[in-house]
Amino acid sequence: MERYDAVVIGAGNGGLTAAATLAKKGVNVLLLERHNIPGGCATSFCRGRFEFEVALHQLSGLGTPEKPGLLRMELDKLGVMENLEFVELSDLYHVATPKGFRITLKTDRSENIAMLQEKFPHEKDAIDRYFDLMASYANDMIGAFIFRDPEPSREKYPYLYKYALRNSKEILDEYFSDPLLKAILSVYWGYLGVPPTRLAFAYLAMIFFQYMEFKPYHIKGGSQALSNAILNKFISDGGTARFSCGAKKIVVKNGRVKSVVTDNNDEIITEYVVSNASQVTTYTQLIDPEYVPESVSVEIKGRNLSTSAFTMFIGFDCEPEELGITESTNFLMDSTDISDAILDRMQNLNIQDELMVLSCYDIADADFSPPGTCQANVVTLKYGEPWLRIPPRQYHDVKFRCAESMLKRVEQIYPDAKKHIEEIEVGTPLTHMRYLGHPFGAIYGYEMLTKDSLFFQPGPYSPIQGLFLAGGWAGDNGFEPTLRSGISAAKSIIRRLGVK
Amino acid sequence: MRKGIWQEFDGYQDIVEEIKVSRKLGGTIAPAMINAEEYIRQLHPDRLELCVNGIIEETPSTKTLRFVSKDNYLPPFLAGQYIALYLEVGGIRTSRPYSISSPPNQTGYYDITVKRVEQGLVSNYLLDHVNRGDDLVSSGPQGNFYFNPIIHKSTKICIAGGSGITPFMSMIREIVDCGLDRTVHLFYGNKTDEDVIFHEELTNIAKRFDNITYLPVIEDPTDDYSGACGFVTSNLIRELLGDIEDKSFFICGPQGLYEFCLPELEEMGIARRKVRQEMYGAPLNIWEYPGWPEAVNKDDIFSVKLRDGRQLEARAAEPLMVTLEKNNVVVPSLCRSGECSMCRVKILSGKVFQPAAVPVRKSDKQFGYVHSCVSYPIEDLEILI
Ligand SMILES: Cc1cc2nc3c(=O)[nH]c(=O)nc-3n(C[C@H](O)[C@H](O)[C@H](O)COP(=O)(O)OP(=O)(O)OC[C@H]3O[C@@H](n4cnc5c(N)ncnc54)[C@H](O)[C@@H]3O)c2cc1C
Ligand SMILES: Cc1cc2nc3c(=O)[nH]c(=O)nc-3n(C[C@H](O)[C@H](O)[C@H](O)COP(=O)(O)OP(=O)(O)OC[C@H]3O[C@@H](n4cnc5c(N)ncnc54)[C@H](O)[C@@H]3O)c2cc1C
Ligand code: FES
Repeated sequence: MERYDAVVIGAGNGGLTAAATLAKKGVNVLLLERHNIPGGCATSFCRGRFEFEVALHQLSGLGTPEKPGLLRMELDKLGVMENLEFVELSDLYHVATPKGFRITLKTDRSENIAMLQEKFPHEKDAIDRYFDLMASYANDMIGAFIFRDPEPSREKYPYLYKYALRNSKEILDEYFSDPLLKAILSVYWGYLGVPPTRLAFAYLAMIFFQYMEFKPYHIKGGSQALSNAILNKFISDGGTARFSCGAKKIVVKNGRVKSVVTDNNDEIITEYVVSNASQVTTYTQLIDPEYVPESVSVEIKGRNLSTSAFTMFIGFDCEPEELGITESTNFLMDSTDISDAILDRMQNLNIQDELMVLSCYDIADADFSPPGTCQANVVTLKYGEPWLRIPPRQYHDVKFRCAESMLKRVEQIYPDAKKHIEEIEVGTPLTHMRYLGHPFGAIYGYEMLTKDSLFFQPGPYSPIQGLFLAGGWAGDNGFEPTLRSGISAAKSIIRRLGVK
Repeated sequence: MRKGIWQEFDGYQDIVEEIKVSRKLGGTIAPAMINAEEYIRQLHPDRLELCVNGIIEETPSTKTLRFVSKDNYLPPFLAGQYIALYLEVGGIRTSRPYSISSPPNQTGYYDITVKRVEQGLVSNYLLDHVNRGDDLVSSGPQGNFYFNPIIHKSTKICIAGGSGITPFMSMIREIVDCGLDRTVHLFYGNKTDEDVIFHEELTNIAKRFDNITYLPVIEDPTDDYSGACGFVTSNLIRELLGDIEDKSFFICGPQGLYEFCLPELEEMGIARRKVRQEMYGAPLNIWEYPGWPEAVNKDDIFSVKLRDGRQLEARAAEPLMVTLEKNNVVVPSLCRSGECSMCRVKILSGKVFQPAAVPVRKSDKQFGYVHSCVSYPIEDLEILI
């Protein structure tokens, strides 16, 4: 029987950084991935002369070399930076409505305030106050949590105590009356998966602040470049990776991890496992029910699964300017409704007026697509469960119908888009189910409701000894948090192994 | 820092209550997950267990194999897609892609139509050694050669060569069976009139349905042949159709067909986005490809070292994947044409020749990954699978 110090299940962001961090310390690691390529969400695929990016729209937390964010520091320590090239995006985002309203928010605070005040003069003061609020909140958050203040208090961090758990819509309503302005300032709910009515202000404020402070980035070669770079580091540090080979079982004995059984029925003896598979998969499929602690089952029962996504990957046979695309990140906004009605739309098997984001990487990175072409990645959020009710033989019809409606929305803003399509591919929640193995194709782990936020949930730890979780199901979602979660899971194991 | 300062945040108690309630009322996800898995399996099964239910002689060199599923379920597919058969022939575990020639509305069976390839390993095996009642394993339906209503025009010009007729057969049968509002103009090139597959069925369909036209084109016709001769040229297409605006082009056949027809279409001024072409497997005479190093002879032998220490012998003109298969090293495969990336392997040292047009991810190139089904050793290699 084979024996490893640790086995990492899944080569998504969290699994990759966990594996690489362990291998770097000389721990003997086996990485198992069901697919033939690393990355999970962080991947790309080719069609014709295009290479389509699957997930990454705006990388957060990187920061500049002079003013590095946490992610840059971690990737640096891991030793993968020399193989990667990052491109700073000059805009936060562009918002376009079919009525012809256009606005581009930049990464500079005062520029944004000026721009918004010009478009919304009747909200002038409120805009100032709102940006102050975001900054004050972020400062409190950083003081208390990032610098780990040993003696935090309401007096020191009034904004944190007052606003962290309140929902974003409430606060936007408190500050503004113009529905369009409120909708514009809250578009990032789409990156977090829950509408402003359910989204803790802690998240909305921090994501906006973070992107302004540390700038959004694009990776040359897309997110696959990052996945490949981390895997490469892992292999050169002596790690063993097996692709097209998933984990079937985590064998537990006396409350401790004993071994992992692969899809090929090889049993691998190990004391430590990092699971990058979803928490649900880990406890309901990989571990036999009699070994799952009651507390875990209770916790899982109380949590909601996040949304999945409907994505269109389009390759155009012209440059972006010819289509009228001038920014990297474009939110197409048909409705300014930020109420719970959004949740109903996310359940529907059609596309009407939902918020969607269209990313065109070629704006920032001229090498992204071949000369004379460009590509767009258009996403809207859709829950996975309703898709399972489509009879399989009608699946393709529903997929094409939704894609057609989505394309009409794109044409409203970029009228020539359809004429220039050379390649098009569509991913549905079922596509995510298939490629990630996550329940209902959830792309953001558990729903980022306040009750499921990092304040309230157990994170990477498991009552089963030797088991750690990494990735979107063990904490916050997105590239930065998941990449970092793998590193911290690995560090816990390194401590227990007593490796220097 | 003090643990749990958030317990003092405004609104904390409400959320604690919410968690209590949701733990009480929340459902168990496990059964839903099993359902979801079953659903995905119905849509995209990893493997299909098939049984040969009938064999139809189409031409002296071609047979249709009719497969039923051993568990009575065949997943839906789009006309034009293929399945990869996984089999063992002469002690070699290998795979081959075959387009489904039956239409998607035929849910009881899949047909594949196989043409003999001289010295071909699998085609000869399928034609000579597979009998009714035999079991075979395949992938689920795959591929991107299908009519996409979002971008394709309802009138299609289809150009087929030899066994490349199979995806079009599926498309045409679906159109006439289901009364779809689509028009197909089919140009079908073959070496001799004896080679034409499905000639009778196509002739009949074209007679009965206004929206299907069919023109066989024969390269070396027998003396009494009265139809179109030579190749499918731009003139021939123009002559027959006149206006080619607002039409989509689909092309499928052997390498030679693309080499001849793609320039013809370009000459007609047809934009690349209007032309969809199916893959055609690994290039045959790779050593004649632009960029092949002069110093390497097609029969040169190189060594391929694996991570487990094994050392294999590889011929320059043979795809790396074939060498691996012959040595019982299984690499996952589907398209065997360089497109799907299933067979990617990492080259640790040494060089392979991989045609420039093979779609390899940029970062895969950066880190030395190649698609082994279309990569040819031109130096001694060390690889990681
Ligand atoms: C459309 C889309 C857009 C997004 N946009 C952004 C963005 O702009 N910015 C941002 O920061 N984030 C974005 N995200 C989110 C981000 O991609 C994810 O949060 C992150 O990649 C998740 O990483 P993870 O570690 O959870 O692993 P995942 O990517 O979820 O991967 C899990 C891996 O585990 C493997 N696995 C599962 N079960 C097994 C098993 N039993 N055995 C072996 N392997 C197994 C899977 O095959 C998979 O490779 C987006 C996501 C999507 C889908
Ligand atoms: C998407 C797709 C769909 C397809 N659909 C169909 C279809 O519907 N019907 C159909 O008949 N085919 C189809 N094919 C082709 C099919 O997959 C096989 O390639 C074909 O049947 C030949 O396989 P083989 O094993 O007989 O030949 P192989 O053994 O693979 O040989 C192929 C060629 O290589 C030569 N060769 C063999 N051995 C060697 C060697 N050692 N060194 C150098 N050259 C060698 C042979 O002489 C032959 O010319 C399709 C291919 C693709 C990619
Ligand atoms: S098998 Fe598809 S690329 Fe090699």
